[in-house]
Amino acid sequence: MNTLLGIANLSVSFPLSSGLLDMFSADREWHLRVLEDISLDLGQGETLGLVGESGSGKTTLARAVLGLVPRSAGTITFDGEAIAGRSDRAFRTMRRKAAMMFQDPVASLSPRRKVGALLVEPHIIHGEPLIDRAEAAARLLALVGLPAAFADRYPHELSGGQARRVGVARALALNPKMVLADEPTAGLDVSVQGEILNLMARLKGEFGLSYIVVTHNLALIRHVSDRLAIMYLGRLVEVGATADIFRMPRHPYTRALLEAEPIPDPRRRRASLAIEGEIPSILNRPVGCEFHTRCAVARDRCRGQAPEFTRYAPGCAVRCHYPLE
Amino acid sequence: MTGPLLSVRGLSVNFRTPQGIVRALGNVSIQAGAGEVVGIVGESGCGKSTLAAAVGNLLPGNAEIAAGEIRFRDRDILRLGSDAQRQLRGREIAMVFQDPMTAFSPVLTIGEQLIEFQHQMTDVDKAEKRRRAEAMLARVGISDAGLRLNGYPHEMSGGMRQRTAIAAALLMSPSLLIADEPTTALDVTLEAQIIYLLRTLRRDYNGAIVVVSHHLGVIAELCDRVYVMYAGEVVESAPVDALFHQARHPYTRALLECDPARLDQPAEFLPTIAGEIPDLTVLPDGCSFAPRCALADDRCRIRPELTSLSEDHAARCHRVSP
Repeated sequence: MNTLLGIANLSVSFPLSSGLLDMFSADREWHLRVLEDISLDLGQGETLGLVGESGSGKTTLARAVLGLVPRSAGTITFDGEAIAGRSDRAFRTMRRKAAMMFQDPVASLSPRRKVGALLVEPHIIHGEPLIDRAEAAARLLALVGLPAAFADRYPHELSGGQARRVGVARALALNPKMVLADEPTAGLDVSVQGEILNLMARLKGEFGLSYIVVTHNLALIRHVSDRLAIMYLGRLVEVGATADIFRMPRHPYTRALLEAEPIPDPRRRRASLAIEGEIPSILNRPVGCEFHTRCAVARDRCRGQAPEFTRYAPGCAVRCHYPLE
Repeated sequence: MTGPLLSVRGLSVNFRTPQGIVRALGNVSIQAGAGEVVGIVGESGCGKSTLAAAVGNLLPGNAEIAAGEIRFRDRDILRLGSDAQRQLRGREIAMVFQDPMTAFSPVLTIGEQLIEFQHQMTDVDKAEKRRRAEAMLARVGISDAGLRLNGYPHEMSGGMRQRTAIAAALLMSPSLLIADEPTTALDVTLEAQIIYLLRTLRRDYNGAIVVVSHHLGVIAELCDRVYVMYAGEVVESAPVDALFHQARHPYTRALLECDPARLDQPAEFLPTIAGEIPDLTVLPDGCSFAPRCALADDRCRIRPELTSLSEDHAARCHRVSP
């Protein structure tokens, strides 16, 4: 499989100011390390699930790939070309070929513009010529199974599922190669979320798309992704084929996540808690393995020494001193 | 006491909106007995939160109770005066909501708020109330409970705040606890912890717990009995095992099939329910699920009644019989 997107040693950190005193202590520079040393590939035609709890950095990673948050280190290669620099200009070509579907589709659309205008906006932003705007909008609406009359509606007149469809249509406006979908089904009813994912699956085949799907919903991502990347406190802790990870998670955190998911079967109620405690603050990262404070199998070494991200097979890696067998 | 602790009978609630009258609940009857955990499950717009709000006397101003009664300890609480209703809500009925961020005032310490929640206990002094608050925080698994009382809500994480909201609800030892989507805003690891907490609490809690959720997994993990709601009506009620293993209503079955967590093998395409929930301002005459139901036929043009299938299993469908 050809690599479409390559992320190498990507880090994102934000400067922290704690107030006036900072101005007088120039030697003390505080940084919030949101993403640490992420290396990850996305193959052509592949769907990668980016999974983790809130605060794990999964959304920031998707945004950093498109340059929506500036990276502080690392390289991004897309479609054979390295992105030079961190400016909007450097990302311009890439953003034409890689589209983002934002988490809240209604909030991410201007409330004062009609769906038709919103759908051709990507063309205008990127200076792509359009002969007939109404026809282009109708074509995009048809792609996602909405009638052309929806072009005259405002975002607030759409149901949750319809708004997602408009979000998908807008992402496809410029014929992208890659779509980054941030929680594409969050807030949707269970009978509707399947529709959106089935639509995305159909379009993937039709247009040869590659997807990065950011989600905390493991039950769903299992059915739609080829590979998974599990994040914890801004780092990757496990990467591998979805089927393998569900069959045999290597990282204790991955296993805990899988076991925490409630099972819709009263005959399989869980007797014990898979994971205790909460994700620590990134202002106060644990020393050693950052998961050791919640890990059921942590040993002395985990409290002192940070594990490396170790490959154990092509495309599979785990950050743990004592991976599960 | 005779009869169940809570018994809602034939409750209908309408909302006045600019688009017209919305029938949010139509002839809803549910029961919850002492020591029982009852689940109410359904998708958005099915009326589950309206039902919870009606029992907690928290309906918005544009809501109107068109028919029915809400009996608590054999008294119709809709007929009580507002003082008596407020008394009941503070002491006997407590609620936990979805959003742990807005459950507390941001400008008062946790301790001040937990003490204030006990204002109906006039025979207990403030130091004792503080002690009770501390004990309750410890009981819901918050470490350093004494220190936490001096802190503010923003100093707590989402999971801790939801634990604190549960502690606040239990402070007055209510006999009915209503939890409206108690884990929806939480990560899966914290969700598991809250489910676990509610389960441990019920062991030494003799009241009834009503859990409202759209999440079938949460319902399966927690509840003894379940009501499935669709378009403002109860369409099926059953013990939890029967609901998940012998569902009879086509909507319940379709809902269960849609849950990706129930598919053992990875599926390329996920099951869905075609169509959309009906517009509650213009309800269809017949079965409200018929327009989306694969099994619908001529009979479904007439509104089905709730049919008893066994002592504790009922479904609102023409196709079911005992």
